[in-house]
Amino acid sequence: MSKFLWKIGGEAGFGIMTTGLNFSKVASRSGYQILDYVEYPSLIRGGHNAYEVTVADEPVNSLSSTIDYLVCLNKETFERNKKKLIPASIVVYDQSSFTIEENCIRVNLPINDILKESKGQIIMANTIALGASLALLDGDQTILNGLLKEEFGKKGNEIVRFNQQFAEKGFDYIKNNYPQFIKPVLHKKNNEEKLVMTGNEAFSLGAVAADCRFYAAYPMTPASSVLTDLAAWQERTGMVVRHAEDEIAVINSAIGASFAGVRSAVGTSGGGFALMTETVSLAGITETSLVIFIAQRPGPATGMPTWTEQGDLLFSVHAGHGEFPKIVLAPGDHEEMFELTLKAFDLADIYQTPVIILSDMLLSESHRTLSKVKIECLIKAYQANRGKLINHAEGKYLRYKLSNDGISERLVPGAEGQFYQANSYEHLEDGHTTEESLRRREQVDKRNAKIKTYLANHFQPPKVYGDLEKAQTVFVSWGSTKGVISDILDGSTSLIHFNHVYPLDERKIRPLFKPGKRYVLVENNSQGQFGKLLRQETGIEVGEKILKYDGRPIGREEIIKRL
Amino acid sequence: MSIIQDFNGFSPTWCPGCGNWAIGVAIKSALVQLNFNPSQVMAVFGVGCSGNMNDFLNAYAVHSLHGRAIPTAIGMKIANHKLPVIVVAGDGDCYGEGGNHLIHACRGNHDITVIVHDNRVYGLTTGQAAPTAAKGFKSKSTPFGMIEKPLNPLMIAIGQGATFVAQTFAGDPGHMIEIIKAGIRHKGFSLINVLQPCVTFNKIYGYQYYLERIYKLQPDYKPEDKGAALKKATEADEEKFPLGIIYQAQSPSFHEQLSRLKEDRPLLQKEPFQAFDLLLKEFI
Repeated sequence: MSKFLWKIGGEAGFGIMTTGLNFSKVASRSGYQILDYVEYPSLIRGGHNAYEVTVADEPVNSLSSTIDYLVCLNKETFERNKKKLIPASIVVYDQSSFTIEENCIRVNLPINDILKESKGQIIMANTIALGASLALLDGDQTILNGLLKEEFGKKGNEIVRFNQQFAEKGFDYIKNNYPQFIKPVLHKKNNEEKLVMTGNEAFSLGAVAADCRFYAAYPMTPASSVLTDLAAWQERTGMVVRHAEDEIAVINSAIGASFAGVRSAVGTSGGGFALMTETVSLAGITETSLVIFIAQRPGPATGMPTWTEQGDLLFSVHAGHGEFPKIVLAPGDHEEMFELTLKAFDLADIYQTPVIILSDMLLSESHRTLSKVKIECLIKAYQANRGKLINHAEGKYLRYKLSNDGISERLVPGAEGQFYQANSYEHLEDGHTTEESLRRREQVDKRNAKIKTYLANHFQPPKVYGDLEKAQTVFVSWGSTKGVISDILDGSTSLIHFNHVYPLDERKIRPLFKPGKRYVLVENNSQGQFGKLLRQETGIEVGEKILKYDGRPIGREEIIKRL
Repeated sequence: MSIIQDFNGFSPTWCPGCGNWAIGVAIKSALVQLNFNPSQVMAVFGVGCSGNMNDFLNAYAVHSLHGRAIPTAIGMKIANHKLPVIVVAGDGDCYGEGGNHLIHACRGNHDITVIVHDNRVYGLTTGQAAPTAAKGFKSKSTPFGMIEKPLNPLMIAIGQGATFVAQTFAGDPGHMIEIIKAGIRHKGFSLINVLQPCVTFNKIYGYQYYLERIYKLQPDYKPEDKGAALKKATEADEEKFPLGIIYQAQSPSFHEQLSRLKEDRPLLQKEPFQAFDLLLKEFI
């Protein structure tokens, strides 16, 4: 088996998330690649949590649709997942808790007995199950013991050993009782060190690497972990991370910090971004650099907080009253998230305007294996490009001096002999307010000129995956749907994937749309928002659409079936 | 050494007799007397008649959005705590639209000086009731009289942890200058409520009204006594307006409590982070 899916589920509040991540890390440390996905309701206790990990020798782009190993800490896990089982699926559960009848391979793991025997608490059930899982996969128990040591090390050796024994007991039970089901699919291989990271973590790391010094946020799923990670790192990184009273304060404080000269960013989801939009417009007219990270979840309003959707594309593109330039990037995977985060901070500085990074719950909260060497190289090679930021100015300094590329020199406040205002009102070149017709047009044209400059200098046309020439069917997508589509490509299909989603340059895009081919839009929303945007910006219309909007990521089989 | 003209921007467009004129001069005088020049001051303006001072006062400034001057100032101070940051806002701006920011800025004891032009009316939108207007106040937006009670900014600020809360009067430039200087010198969050007549849209709270009801705190008044300060703040209920530093306490400001800013260099001038090995380790 070159690829398999392992899934664990149980009651919320019983360590499912930690267990799942430990599984992902064991797989990565054993030399395999992973992509994982979490399902959890918007509450802390009482609901059902599940964590699935797809493991393979090669990079994993999308989640599998059938479950090879299902670990059920309660009956609900089984009921929710039985449709994804095949006769060869192995289901691990404790017969003393509940029974199952379905056609699959049943493995009884006496969790309750082990807990009773060793005086364990119910929360250790998942550790037993994890040990048992490793045994079934011929994994290395010492790697898991190492992870448990990292997890509990602060509490002392005794606690470490106490937890490790439950993993070992689960492991040994399978070795002794079910040797016939053990398959060497997680057998340890020699390998280079890899990273296991979520999209949010890739953004956070990217922000640090880009020398972002001020991050403000108000907690909102699924963006909250950016705030908590950056906050946890701040003593080391020197970044100031501030949880402000609301999203309005968040973005305005970031504007203040950016005005004063430090790279700044904010993070939120759709609802929080809605509160920020007036200030997005302020960043536009004051020409203040700002990176805005948005992890989308299904709306409208509170919607489905812990699920995934690509429903805020048009909202992001159009956010803010009035007309001003804005750049929207939508990474297709974790590595693109890291690279585009570095780029976003540069673009914000170069164009002195807001840059939005659009993620979604799927990309934000799923872990994926990344090459450590690659990330280290990207960090090393990165040189912040702060555009026309200057520390001194001679003569009369004009903050909004007219220029062909639309970009003026931006002086860091505090420079001797100068002063200026970043003005929310329409202004003259020196920043003072004006309502004069000519001056108004000059400044509007100046700001709009940045769009042309960006399209010429920094816009990246979509990437093509597969052979576009030979393909009869061409998928068109953006953001996190890249992985699942690239997994179904064959000789007759290819993918045009956008991660620079706004603004768009028709001249660089139109050549990819050729007559005689079938173009199919794939989006995780109900209205085909990117299709609308593409038509609005380029006149290109994609007739066929495969849309999914139930809060779940779109699967390979769904695309194939609906084609 | 700077002179007051160094701070002069465009000529003000305020109505003749408006309290803003005197407040503008008082701010400039205070900055000159504190030996600042326009390159050494950061300022944020709200939106309203008061905020229009953006064009009349030279400084490194942001003319922000209505209600949002305080969070903008907080970000500026964190990024470069070496420069003083003053906020010029109005009553509708700071006590209405941006009320939440005021409360939390007090809690945070951010080292910024917030000067609120309190004329109890919206001037720039031609005369609607502000949050500080009295119950029963008739205006374009409350033709049958204001139903709500007035907001008490001094009470809110003292109650929520501001460490410098003062009140002054636009008709007394000398007093304003001293209070503004004390507010800028103070390490921590300063709220200066300036009682200000709007001669165009508020015929009730004019100069005469205030001259009959203001009084200066006695030299033996102790601003560190929170209980006494809160009591002073309640005098607004009886239309009595004490002028002076109502409350002052010594307490570390927000940026002083950020370990990253402990050393002298502002955030702006720090060396970039390099030790990525340590961060990457968490993800193996």
